[in-house]
Amino acid sequence: MDLTVSIVLYFVAITIAFLTIMLLCAFTVLAERRVLAFLQGRLGPNRVGYGGLLQPFADFIKTMVKEDLIPDQSTRFVFLLAPMIAIVTAIMAILVYPFGPTITIPFVEWTIPLVIARFDVGLLYVLGVTSVGVYGIMLAGWSSNNKYSLMGGLRASAQMISYELSLGMSLVGVVLIAGTLDIYSIVEQQSGWGGLRWNIFFQPVGFIIYLISAIAETNRVPFDLPEAETELVAGFHTEYSSIKFLLFFNAEYINMITVSMLATSLFLGGWQGPFVNQFPLLGVFYFFIKIAFFLFLYIWLRGTLPRFRFDQLMNFGWKFLIPVAILNIVVTATLALFDWL
Amino acid sequence: MLALLFILFAGLAIGSAIAVVAQRNPLYSAISLIGVFVSLACLYVMLAAPFIAAVQLIVYAGAIMVLVVFVIMLLNVEEEERRRPRLKFLVPAAVFMAAILIAEATFIIYSVKSAGAPTVSASNTGLTAAIGAGLFTKYLLPFEVTSILLLMAIVGAMTLARRSRTLTPTIGVVPGAQVVAMDILRPGSAENLTPVESDTSAEAASLLGVETYKEPKDEGNHGA
Repeated sequence: MDLTVSIVLYFVAITIAFLTIMLLCAFTVLAERRVLAFLQGRLGPNRVGYGGLLQPFADFIKTMVKEDLIPDQSTRFVFLLAPMIAIVTAIMAILVYPFGPTITIPFVEWTIPLVIARFDVGLLYVLGVTSVGVYGIMLAGWSSNNKYSLMGGLRASAQMISYELSLGMSLVGVVLIAGTLDIYSIVEQQSGWGGLRWNIFFQPVGFIIYLISAIAETNRVPFDLPEAETELVAGFHTEYSSIKFLLFFNAEYINMITVSMLATSLFLGGWQGPFVNQFPLLGVFYFFIKIAFFLFLYIWLRGTLPRFRFDQLMNFGWKFLIPVAILNIVVTATLALFDWL
Repeated sequence: MLALLFILFAGLAIGSAIAVVAQRNPLYSAISLIGVFVSLACLYVMLAAPFIAAVQLIVYAGAIMVLVVFVIMLLNVEEEERRRPRLKFLVPAAVFMAAILIAEATFIIYSVKSAGAPTVSASNTGLTAAIGAGLFTKYLLPFEVTSILLLMAIVGAMTLARRSRTLTPTIGVVPGAQVVAMDILRPGSAENLTPVESDTSAEAASLLGVETYKEPKDEGNHGA
């Protein structure tokens, strides 16, 4: 393959991944509304299209044609910059997730792995991009010049900084087992033994810490203090309307999807599953099934749990999750030193 | 192609760096500094040092600058008004430093030029495994010493933050029995309420074993 072909291939891959993530995002919103309605004994949106399948697009058009308000006293440049940071960092994270195994394109005999970029520090890249994403929320809260927004922004950034630590530490165990930071290689190493080589069986504690931290990191129930409707109107995006609100909304759901992708790739074997060796494209199906499981878990939790109090949230993060994560690292490192893993 | 990318990121880095000093609003300066760090990370990737780039992104752009922006937001620093520059004697010093820096850069460019183009070879110096091996074998002592230094900084910050227990002037004590939060400096600890019976803030303070807030100049008691 020469350079031009590979550039075109990259372009095609990025476009496909972008469209996939956007569609997935749209249907996650729909699924959330339908499942929540089911949990609460309602029907939910079921009129637009078959079973409400076109509802996200109707909502999209409706939100787009709303008036785009910019508060008079806001810091205009930062106000415009904040949603862009939020959505760009959210989308950038999908670059390193493997959607499937290496496939061979018929007729031209190119073998390409179904991942946009494989690089040495894939996992660190994800953490880095996520940590930059905090600015979107912080700056949005600050620039709106609204006390609810500021409170929401401060809460969100404090929460995300705290839970980023336990999130990162919970992944160290997996890295110790895999010996690499490249996510594609980590997925590849989990093949075999009929699914018993998945990292969740070696790192149960790490998995649970990751799951809790990821829910807190994406500001979802029960950690949704930044946008607690009953206290803060809508938190950091109170002043945002029209397309800018849509960007924040999308960023939140894309973050949900990407943390689910990371959990799937690192703990649940990514695209591994029965008959993947014979039919590589089946791997994409398994990957999305596993993501769907996590997304359902998110919605289920939202329909079930009440919200934390802020001091409980901080105490839980700093005094429980981080010590347990450190203990997990020590135990895993000791076992890895003696080659028992 | 690579040169174009280099010009893009280097230009971004220089432009943001100029913006850091040129902006009057501290928050804009902070945002520009984030821009500098992100473009530097991109340059590191181009120099085949992905690990340094990722760490730059996580530590500088993601952690340190978040704290800086956090503080600026909390204090809500207003835009600095134009004023006569103080500390005028620093201007010649700055020019002198800049001259040294430019001289160094010129020297480096000159020596690189005279040494000729480097021989391109596959190297894994910038990769994670190589850096990890280096940190835990050859450079173990400096690595551990640095970590102890950081631990000391954390402990120092905690002691400094916990030492001053002062009743702020906004805290007033209503005469009669009432409840005063023990840790006024740590709001949110609802379990830590201590009931005291007192008539003035000074009395409450002495019962709680904390100091009352004093104006730096006059000795007047600003409680109650």
